[in-house]
Amino acid sequence: MSSSLQRRLLPASILAALLGAQPHSAAQDAPKAAPDFSHDIVPILREHCAACHTGDKKKGGLSMNSRGDLMAGGENGKAIVSGKSAESRFIKAILSTDPDTQMPPPDAKQKRVPAEKIALLKAWIDDGMKWQDGFTFKKPAYEPPLKPRNVALPAAHGTRTNPLDRILDAYLAQHGKPQPQPLGDAAFARRVHLDLIGLLPEPETLAQFAKDTAPDKRAQLVRALLARETDYAEHWLTFWNDLLRNDYSRVGFGPGTGAQITRWLYDALLNNKHYDVMVRELIAPPTPDSAGFSAGLAWRGTVSASQVREVQFAQSISQAFLGINMKCASCHDSFVDRWKLTDAYSLAAIYSNAPLKIARCDKETDVVAQPAWLFPELGQIKSDAPQPERLKQLAALMTHPENGRFSRTVVNRLWHRLMGRGIAHPVDAMQTEPWSADLLDFLAADFFANGCDLKRTLELICTSQAYQSRAVVRQKDDSIGAFVFTGPRAKRMSAEQFLDAVWQLTGSYPVATDAPVLRARPDSTLVKNTQLSAHWIWESGEPTENSETPNAPGPADTKPAAKNLNPAAPKSATTLTGKVAAADASTVPAAKPAAVSPKKERTKLVLRKTFTLADTPVKAFGVLGQDAAGSQFLVNGAAFQLDRQIIRTRGVSVVDFKGALRKGANEIMMVVERPSSKQPVPGVFFEAHLQMKSGTEAIVTDESWEWSPELPDVKGKITGPEVKNVRWLAVTAAPPQPRHAEIRPAMIEALAHISTPPPLPRASLMKCDLLQRALGRPNREQIVSTRPEDLTTLEALDLANGPALAGALASGAARLLARKWESPDAFTHWLYTFAVARPPAQPELEGARALLGPTLNTQGIEDLLWAVCMLPEFQIIR
Amino acid sequence: MNPLPLDPQNTRRDFLKKLSAAGIAAMMAREPRLLAAAGVKHPKPTADSCILLWMAGGMAAPDTWDPKRYLPFEKGLEVREMLSTFPAIDTAVDNIKITRGLENVAKVMDRATLIRSAVQPDLGAILHSRHQYHWHTGYVPPQTVAAPHIGAWMARVLGPRNPVIPAFINIGQRLEGVGESEELKSFTTAGFFGAEFGPMNLPFPDEAARAVRPPKGMEGSRFENRYRAYRRLIDQNPNRDFLSDYQQESMLRSMDNAQRLLASKERDAFDITLEPKGSAENYGTGRFGRGCMLARRLVESGARFVEVTTEYAPFQYWDTHKDGHETAAKMKQEIDLPIATLIRDLELRNLLDRTLVIVASEFSRDAIMEGKPGSKANDQATFKVERIEEMKHYGLHRHFTGGTSVVMFGGGMKRGFLYGETAPERPLMAIQDPVSIAEMHATIFTAMGISPKTAFEIENRPFYATQDGLGKPVKALFA
Repeated sequence: MSSSLQRRLLPASILAALLGAQPHSAAQDAPKAAPDFSHDIVPILREHCAACHTGDKKKGGLSMNSRGDLMAGGENGKAIVSGKSAESRFIKAILSTDPDTQMPPPDAKQKRVPAEKIALLKAWIDDGMKWQDGFTFKKPAYEPPLKPRNVALPAAHGTRTNPLDRILDAYLAQHGKPQPQPLGDAAFARRVHLDLIGLLPEPETLAQFAKDTAPDKRAQLVRALLARETDYAEHWLTFWNDLLRNDYSRVGFGPGTGAQITRWLYDALLNNKHYDVMVRELIAPPTPDSAGFSAGLAWRGTVSASQVREVQFAQSISQAFLGINMKCASCHDSFVDRWKLTDAYSLAAIYSNAPLKIARCDKETDVVAQPAWLFPELGQIKSDAPQPERLKQLAALMTHPENGRFSRTVVNRLWHRLMGRGIAHPVDAMQTEPWSADLLDFLAADFFANGCDLKRTLELICTSQAYQSRAVVRQKDDSIGAFVFTGPRAKRMSAEQFLDAVWQLTGSYPVATDAPVLRARPDSTLVKNTQLSAHWIWESGEPTENSETPNAPGPADTKPAAKNLNPAAPKSATTLTGKVAAADASTVPAAKPAAVSPKKERTKLVLRKTFTLADTPVKAFGVLGQDAAGSQFLVNGAAFQLDRQIIRTRGVSVVDFKGALRKGANEIMMVVERPSSKQPVPGVFFEAHLQMKSGTEAIVTDESWEWSPELPDVKGKITGPEVKNVRWLAVTAAPPQPRHAEIRPAMIEALAHISTPPPLPRASLMKCDLLQRALGRPNREQIVSTRPEDLTTLEALDLANGPALAGALASGAARLLARKWESPDAFTHWLYTFAVARPPAQPELEGARALLGPTLNTQGIEDLLWAVCMLPEFQIIR
Repeated sequence: MNPLPLDPQNTRRDFLKKLSAAGIAAMMAREPRLLAAAGVKHPKPTADSCILLWMAGGMAAPDTWDPKRYLPFEKGLEVREMLSTFPAIDTAVDNIKITRGLENVAKVMDRATLIRSAVQPDLGAILHSRHQYHWHTGYVPPQTVAAPHIGAWMARVLGPRNPVIPAFINIGQRLEGVGESEELKSFTTAGFFGAEFGPMNLPFPDEAARAVRPPKGMEGSRFENRYRAYRRLIDQNPNRDFLSDYQQESMLRSMDNAQRLLASKERDAFDITLEPKGSAENYGTGRFGRGCMLARRLVESGARFVEVTTEYAPFQYWDTHKDGHETAAKMKQEIDLPIATLIRDLELRNLLDRTLVIVASEFSRDAIMEGKPGSKANDQATFKVERIEEMKHYGLHRHFTGGTSVVMFGGGMKRGFLYGETAPERPLMAIQDPVSIAEMHATIFTAMGISPKTAFEIENRPFYATQDGLGKPVKALFA
């Protein structure tokens, strides 16, 4: 259809959509209407009027700070008649050519208002001067300091010497508030367990703690919990996943999008990687493992300008690391804080690999953003440096010792997690005046002075009397507005804490976890005792036309290739039974050679090993190292998926494949990519250790492996017209490369690691199922730094009758009944102690008897388990 | 939060007073603040309930509500000659023709407003879940905050009609184990409103009763005893300090609400086995039909917003990348009788006037055009043939965003009314009265008594019911 024809047939709005001249047309679907205050009017007032009529300035008595101010007018009376632009002095002055009355005045720096903007102003007045609720041009009363500040500590009150208590005791005295009541030992133990490792204290732990007479037993407990590396990491994983929008199944279409940082994050927490290092690795990733945060999320297709990945980067680093909301400024200069469109785009340009044009309200301008960061007083990005350099510069500026905003933001988040409310609150709005600048500044300075050690700050808070106080009873929600600290706040259990606690009580753990990580640390004895005997192998070359003759070398003739293998290496016969050779023989094509089409470009090849097992193995773990990119690992036709069954760690991959093996003949296939001819010849290394009922066996890459240029389909079957004539060819030793020796320790450790039985499952490592979703675990498409505090009716419904929880309680009841209990009361006693860290009171014992009956049975146990898990005392950490 | 602005029905306020101070508490501060001062005045509602019948996967308008030149299957047929693969049929309204396979709906078209000019942006590429996100929230993902589903807007602004029936119920869509499930989840949510206003998901209508029944193996008395004992344990808690704690109170109120629903007579509404046999037969045996029956029962009992979907699963149902004609025939069979029955049933119960029923899809389909003219979207048809050789080539296998049909029944809309028009020849663009998603939402919200300009403040920014508060209702559709 010609465009002239379109013009005749189509109304203008369709034409506009059709011609689609605007880039980022995704969000252009909204119809046009009266001028929008925020997007159309504010910029005009700001450009032409603000200098003299906003903030503290009110030339001629006229202030435009608020709608009310503007309506009130100035020395010359009313400036605007709402709904009547023609009668408004405001418009008349703008239109006037009289130097005495025109606005802006001729001598002002501000330019005259152009006609199209006057039209907008008129339309806005005629439409009733809509003003955004709460918007003001007035500068905010509080502007947070950037630099860190050393706080002079007030004198300690008695034995309350923790620096935080010294600050807070002075604060309380100043506000005429009493010191909060101290928390009992058991309640403290419960709170600190849940806060630091996300688990309930076991009844035995509580008993021991009660008996302990050491005066510093609480500090000891705090340190002991922080030293439980795995428990700590797997609890705090939830917090960081929320903040860094990481999850195990994610929205995302497009290259690199939705890439997990799980492996990197898990290791960072397990090893207590210091926070400045973490942030540097997130901003300027040294390996792809930490690149997912900066890379952001994409959906297929065109995206509004404020959501392209470069701008997402600006928003994400601002929010997560600085508590700055850069979302307003991604579209236009912010109306609520100091950030401007150019600030957001300057950050985006640091990340961008190509010149990035600034778009205002989704309309592209001609201005190319210059890479720069937000606080030039600390230094600046070299805008002509290549992108990786710019990111490194940004990482350094972000973690600069003088960047107090960075350390204040993170310590405030930790305080919020432990104490229930931020010192600056909300935690993502660090421009908010803190209720105690001394406390915030002290924590931040202390954090930095101690090398940004997260555990150190957690310890400092948990060992304070402030933390070890009873939670405040709140009569109403007061999380916004003037706030005076009077003690810690109760916190609702996260979905993960709730599930972990239910699993602890019931033993109803899921079978496996979803996060693609090797949990905890490998058993050190296993690492010491693990030896590898496999060789690096590769294909022996494409069959040539010559080789495709009836005299083509058969398996026997290809044997010489095996001579290339390291002569010192043990032969496969040392690790595998003689039956393997028989299996090999059976695959030799009888007569005709493989119908390999040599002309066709082949970018991949398949390696395989066939072998016979006398029985199904009890365990089967393998480690895979390869130089070329791998695409598939199949065992008996079952494809193993990366990040699900195959876990990558430190450049190698490990797999638990017991379930795919069977008694009798087995086959392992690996499809790998061929490098281009210019790259060095790669190799593949695989070693699996099988534990059989009688001894162990190893499957290793060696000369008994075969290769073929024909590729298997998803079911591990070789397909195509050549299927019947596929010939398996002998492999050869891969040329040695320095990398092979380098990654050997990693392979040994990884194989030992996957062979080490993992700890009990944790909810933080599970994908978000419906129950966790119902309990407030977010979709992590956006940064989420706080979870909902209240249980909703729909959530309560899930708790009352949801199959997941009911199932866990039912199987737990059976498990618990199997234990020996002296009496129903003994069970109630155990349950209360474990669940809420105190024995039941007499009336509670009686109440429990109503459910349990005279003799314990699964039904009674199940119902009491439910009732106790539904207690506010259980679900709210006090 | 500021007091709620003019709420013509007061149902929300009543509901809160009666049952959910927890909800109020939740809204008081942490929750996004309703921006009341912007002069938003809610329109007088023409509907109290809304049922969205969602044709997931892209229902081809030329094969359903907007018949074009029909060419029957024939070997060697040129694909570009073909506009519709079904012939037109008459309906109860003279000037409205629809297509073969919708004979039952044809008989109730005199209760319908048929919009043939709904348009969507093509977003540079076709990804069903992304277009569905746009249709269901009014916003194109990704977004800097989690956008609420239109059902959540109704739950948030209007609240439930009956306090024990959740305000937003979502029937027929699995959120686990289907393709693009993470993307589906990202709009099947109350977003920043919080879970209180989120959907109750009932993927299988036959199992809906289970969602409001005590857990398996817990017959009535045991379930009630369990709750009674639970309340007793709370009352006997030796730690009296927290009895007045608002967080504890809020939690207990939610527990009470849930228990009340599980013990209420309204829960029978979820149990479609209770539908009289004669009536149930009229909904057919398909999952969508059962969903329609469930939706009617729920609306009868006081549901506010119910979505029933044919379900989105990539390359299935309406997502026809091949076999388009045969699949569309099956889908029409799946929806034809249930939709007609739903309309008649609502009418019979005098509910149609106050229930807005909408049949919609994320976009239409075309035999050769992907997206719309000038689109950069990739052609995703399975067989890219110019001539039809086999039945599997016969159908509308491309995604088309330039002209889509939406049918509305009841809820204050005109009856037997045709609105908008698409071109008679390819490209089948809306050539008269195009209706954007923002306008569609503004129309639906207006019918429900929600101003399209309603805004909540989240992270210091206003977030509107329709994009930037600019959606305008299509006045011509209202009776």
